[in-house]
Amino acid sequence: MSLSAGRTARAATLLAAAVLVVSGCAKSENTAASPAPGGSDAQQQVVKTPSGPAGAGCTIDRHGATAFDLKTAVVGFSQSEKEANPFRIAETQSIKDEAAKIGIADLKVTNAQSQFSKQISDVQQLIAQGAQLLVIAPLNSDGWEPVLQQAAAKKVPIITIDRKINAKHCTDYLTFIGSDFVEQGRRAADQMIKALDGRGKVAILLGAPGNNVTTERTQGFKEQIAAKAPDIEITFEQTGEFAREKGQQVTEQLIQSNPDIDGIYAENDEMALGAVTALKGAGKKAGDVKIVSIDGTRGAVQGIVDGWIYGVVESNPRFGALAFETAQKFLNGESIPEKVVISDREYDETNAKDSVSQAY
Amino acid sequence: MTDTVLRRGAAGRTRVIAWLQEYGVYAAVVTLFAFNAVFTPHFLAVDNFRTQLVQVAPIVIVALGMALVIGTEGVDLSVGSVMALASAVVALYLGYGALPAIAMAVLAGALIGGAGGALVAVVGVQPIVATLALLVGVRGLANVFLPQLREFTNPTLVALGSDSLAGVPIVVIVAVVLTAAVAFLVKRTTFGRQLVAVGGNREASRLSGLPVRRVLLTVYVLSGMLAAVAGVLATSRLQASDPTSLGLFMELSAITAVVVGGTPLTGGRVRVLGTVMGALLMQLLQATLIKHNLPQSWTQMAQAVIILAAVYAARERR
Repeated sequence: MSLSAGRTARAATLLAAAVLVVSGCAKSENTAASPAPGGSDAQQQVVKTPSGPAGAGCTIDRHGATAFDLKTAVVGFSQSEKEANPFRIAETQSIKDEAAKIGIADLKVTNAQSQFSKQISDVQQLIAQGAQLLVIAPLNSDGWEPVLQQAAAKKVPIITIDRKINAKHCTDYLTFIGSDFVEQGRRAADQMIKALDGRGKVAILLGAPGNNVTTERTQGFKEQIAAKAPDIEITFEQTGEFAREKGQQVTEQLIQSNPDIDGIYAENDEMALGAVTALKGAGKKAGDVKIVSIDGTRGAVQGIVDGWIYGVVESNPRFGALAFETAQKFLNGESIPEKVVISDREYDETNAKDSVSQAY
Repeated sequence: MTDTVLRRGAAGRTRVIAWLQEYGVYAAVVTLFAFNAVFTPHFLAVDNFRTQLVQVAPIVIVALGMALVIGTEGVDLSVGSVMALASAVVALYLGYGALPAIAMAVLAGALIGGAGGALVAVVGVQPIVATLALLVGVRGLANVFLPQLREFTNPTLVALGSDSLAGVPIVVIVAVVLTAAVAFLVKRTTFGRQLVAVGGNREASRLSGLPVRRVLLTVYVLSGMLAAVAGVLATSRLQASDPTSLGLFMELSAITAVVVGGTPLTGGRVRVLGTVMGALLMQLLQATLIKHNLPQSWTQMAQAVIILAAVYAARERR
């Protein structure tokens, strides 16, 4: 057995050496180089509904927190998913950049790697480390009671970004800053109606099933099509699971069995880019099938410039400025509404070329 | 009198099951094909066959390796992660040109396969545990190498994923060649005989002097290399390297193809053509449901029914 143990050790050493070699002399294609997202010229978020109904807001007195100076405070940020897609990368970067900009000395950042139990313990750790303000990008909307209780006991204000927490405003959390996904779906529908002159057959590439983003982006799109363009027929809806490869595969099946399709509504940019690859592979030309998608990543905006994508509704991930601005207002004694809806931009052929560098 | 009828009935039933084990998957593919030919618009078109074959090619290639491993009474859960690793390595080495990058990716697959094989053959870890560790670890490694999706424009790699030779997509040609190679390996070489013997009865093989460790090690290395090739092909088709999601749940698709194709999980037998048919059946099923615009949950339930039927037929073997 000692012989085989020795061999295993040797194998392990070999493997470790191989890993070093692989990462050491890598040389990738240089066309892939792109400027880092979230740069200074990046488009910051703008508030669409700056204040809620009077009296419903949350002031520092009602919340019970004691005022502190953001610059010297411990601030915790809990990210939900691995920073492997442009949205998450830009979101985390924006929080870090803004914290550095306004001089927050002690920003603690965690990442739950898409595991909800990890996110709960991440936030509990942050509270234990003395966080005085929590910014959370929640993986799920439910199941936050253990964290909320701890935070309430210590009177730590919580700002959730991009997804909501189902809990009581002011007692459990300070505010939610995010996009209106139903509205995004409606605006995508408006673009599709414009692209098709209000008539034609449209396919939907749905997001991951059982996700509120998918449900709301579908709902908004269908409502708007039904209300504004009854001559547009939605003939096909299949999930592409928000992934490029799945979007490509489903589109390949789609254009083969429904060659008369006029438009594709992709519920995120990755699936839209997969659809573009599928259309190219099927010998279609840019603009033959009108694609409308949501997110506003750089790849998709470039797709508009190249003529393959008709329009993109943005879902802005740069929460940093707005989150800390809201926190500062709260500390100054201003009333904070339950929900801060941000205004998302829209890209089409008129502005895509100038906006590519600002997309994330 | 009743006795003989009963006996004849039982014998008939056994015969039916034996026939199903042997040809069930072919019959299912033919049935589903016929259904689509009649009820699915634009099904009988060259473009459609091309789409189905191109989409199934990576699964077939991974399933070939999986069939070899299952033939030795093992299982290789790391294949999906190896695909992701191959994808990351290709993107990292593309600066040297497409061929060196592909070679590095296949080498990486061989190394991971070797690691899994060593754990199984030398250390004696259960295959499911050894390769489960690799499933988790190698995906992580791939993400370390390439944390984010990266697009590429290398013309050779793009051509590999989208060009055709004499009307047949290159991806499909690769899958056909590899299928023939694996079939030859299993049917016509000493190694193939040894593999089946080791899977059938490892102790007896060892006692009769077969190089059990070497056979096991080689089988996992082959599985790793085949998974890496599949990863390269999937990457070239996507025209982007996406180690976060490429090959997710591929191990399950591959095992399904092998089992549905009639290879018993107990080892000692490898059905190469059956495996290809198993993959084709699952692909056709998914295509059918997508083309008829049925929800994905239907696909999953239909797949479950087919897997259960296959396992039921296999249970009656002996």
